[in-house]
Amino acid sequence: MLLIEADGKALLRQSGIQIPEGQIATTGPAALTGAGPWMVKAQVPVGGRGKAGGVVRCDTKADVGVALRRLVGAPIKGHTVHSCLVEAIIANADEYYLSLMLDPAQYGVRVTLLREGGINVEQNNAAAANSRLCSPEPDAIAAAIRELAVREPANRRTALIDTGEKLAQLFMQRELMLAEINPLFVSDHGCIAGDAKIVVDLDAVHRQPAIATLIERNAATYPEAIRKLRDGFDYVEVDAEGEIGLVTTGAGLSMMLIDELTARGGRPVNFCDIRTGLLRGDPTRLIKVLEWIGARPNVRVLLVSVFGGITDLSEFAPLLCDALERTPSIKVPIVARLIGNRADEARDILAARRPDIAVEEQLPAALDRVGAILRGASR
Amino acid sequence: MTAQIISKLSRHTPVIVQGATGRTGSVHVRRMKEFGTHIVAGVSAREGASLDDVPVFANCRAAVAATGALASVAMVPPNGVLAAMQDVLAAGIRLIVTPAEGVPVHDALRIGRMVKEAGAVWVGPSTPGLAIPGEMKLGFLPNVSLKPGPLGIMSKSGTLSYETGYRLAQIGLGQSIWVGVGGDPVKGVRFADLIDTFMADERTRGIVLIGEVGGNEEEEFADALLKSPTRKPVYALVAGRGAKEGVAMGHAGALTFGEVGTFASKQRQLEAAGARVFATIDQLIEACRQDFAGR
Repeated sequence: MLLIEADGKALLRQSGIQIPEGQIATTGPAALTGAGPWMVKAQVPVGGRGKAGGVVRCDTKADVGVALRRLVGAPIKGHTVHSCLVEAIIANADEYYLSLMLDPAQYGVRVTLLREGGINVEQNNAAAANSRLCSPEPDAIAAAIRELAVREPANRRTALIDTGEKLAQLFMQRELMLAEINPLFVSDHGCIAGDAKIVVDLDAVHRQPAIATLIERNAATYPEAIRKLRDGFDYVEVDAEGEIGLVTTGAGLSMMLIDELTARGGRPVNFCDIRTGLLRGDPTRLIKVLEWIGARPNVRVLLVSVFGGITDLSEFAPLLCDALERTPSIKVPIVARLIGNRADEARDILAARRPDIAVEEQLPAALDRVGAILRGASR
Repeated sequence: MTAQIISKLSRHTPVIVQGATGRTGSVHVRRMKEFGTHIVAGVSAREGASLDDVPVFANCRAAVAATGALASVAMVPPNGVLAAMQDVLAAGIRLIVTPAEGVPVHDALRIGRMVKEAGAVWVGPSTPGLAIPGEMKLGFLPNVSLKPGPLGIMSKSGTLSYETGYRLAQIGLGQSIWVGVGGDPVKGVRFADLIDTFMADERTRGIVLIGEVGGNEEEEFADALLKSPTRKPVYALVAGRGAKEGVAMGHAGALTFGEVGTFASKQRQLEAAGARVFATIDQLIEACRQDFAGR
């Protein structure tokens, strides 16, 4: 998961890498450091926010206020801006690009150091020549950085190597998947990280308290991670204004279902992988998902879809009924698509307890039902 | 390497199950046996653990010494996978399936390097496993979806492959080999590693690839397909067209950044290599039906 810049920079600072002076702000310019100019940067966990208008240069305090009012609460590439980072502009420095990235196919770390950073670095043709693949060990990464920095003037080389070694330590200690600094400001006074794109491994957070703390502190920014860590399953809101609530299991099938509904003109509210195999007779997880869906204003239909390859559907059906009984906020028509182990028994259970639920065995038929409900046609 | 090891699997291949006596392990040992898998031993660190008529050993070395096992399924929790892999590789086993979801990525990096060093084949993490219907399965691909037939399936997703495999089986199109590679970013066998296996396998007449946004495995596969001297038709689904950038949709690997790993990039490269990419499961099923059913 990508951290917002401020959290990425917090990790950089903890490892001894310099970052610009700045503060997190949500409203008007209260206590800005320095005399300006400043950069106001929307804190959203997504790349390309500069090109999407999420980074604004401001010369006066009044301008900072205007930028904050415009950005905070607005969406940038589908993510709501909860706060901005306001930083003093770094002048008289060259912009470099430094990154450490996992190479999944080679089981290594790719180290890249470029003399020109900036927002167009992806198109930089020099990238291949200025990167090295090495084994995932701090010493090997540090050696690669020394090799890449060898053409730099001596006064800069030392600072670049020092920053690179600290980044290598951070990368391995915190089990990162990506640590990118772009731009990295380099001058005779040393290196300052102008940005931080840090991707953490949510499966390692249980043994990385420093990262767990950052995520917990910014719960509103990382709702999906918070849910995964606290509740042990995946739920991603894809459209708060959506009309179709989804109770589904399996990441791939759930993603495909969203794609197919969207292609038919539907607006799914959420992705979820509820993991029916782990419910173990307890409807709590189902109730949570139903409550999150029920809290959305435009939901018009609920689609439950479970392929019971391993799951016993006759155990799932009563849990679904229990959960619905305890979630009065779900008042919309329900389509349940159940197929696989003991689907017949599950259908009988639903017919007895919730005859209002339209049960289908085949997915296309269930999607047609959902479409009919959205069009307002009678069942 | 992958091709030699996977294509030799049969109902006679001796298999051990690490973590066999746990809640999940014991259930799946029984299901694998019902399917035909020749399970010769379980491995459990717990003293006095037992499992039906399957002998249980304290470690893989002892299990292999007593049974000559050639493959293992490690039914251990995510944080136990690294240790289980150390144990099983040291015992000389060269095909290992690790179903656990949630293995830390840096653990997977270390495991990947160990596996490469040992010249072994690792399927996982986050995988339902692999199967040769009619012969055996390693892991828990659901029996309702498995049926011998002409299609080789490779998939990042468990559930989407169960659904697709089930519906294909319903119209009479079963599978020759089915490998779940899992949805994690760092893993053992990748799509491209399976090309030689599927192309060399005489039972396989077509390949069904079930991918997802994120990473570049589909693109690697497209490259390998272009270079393959053997041609077989490839039918692909790529889930996650509508995924939110920067947020993983359930699978840690399904994370897109900018242009890397997007649906558009995967579709473009797969199609350029001659694969057909379908927008819906139905369309894929229909294309396979037209090409194979009744032939």
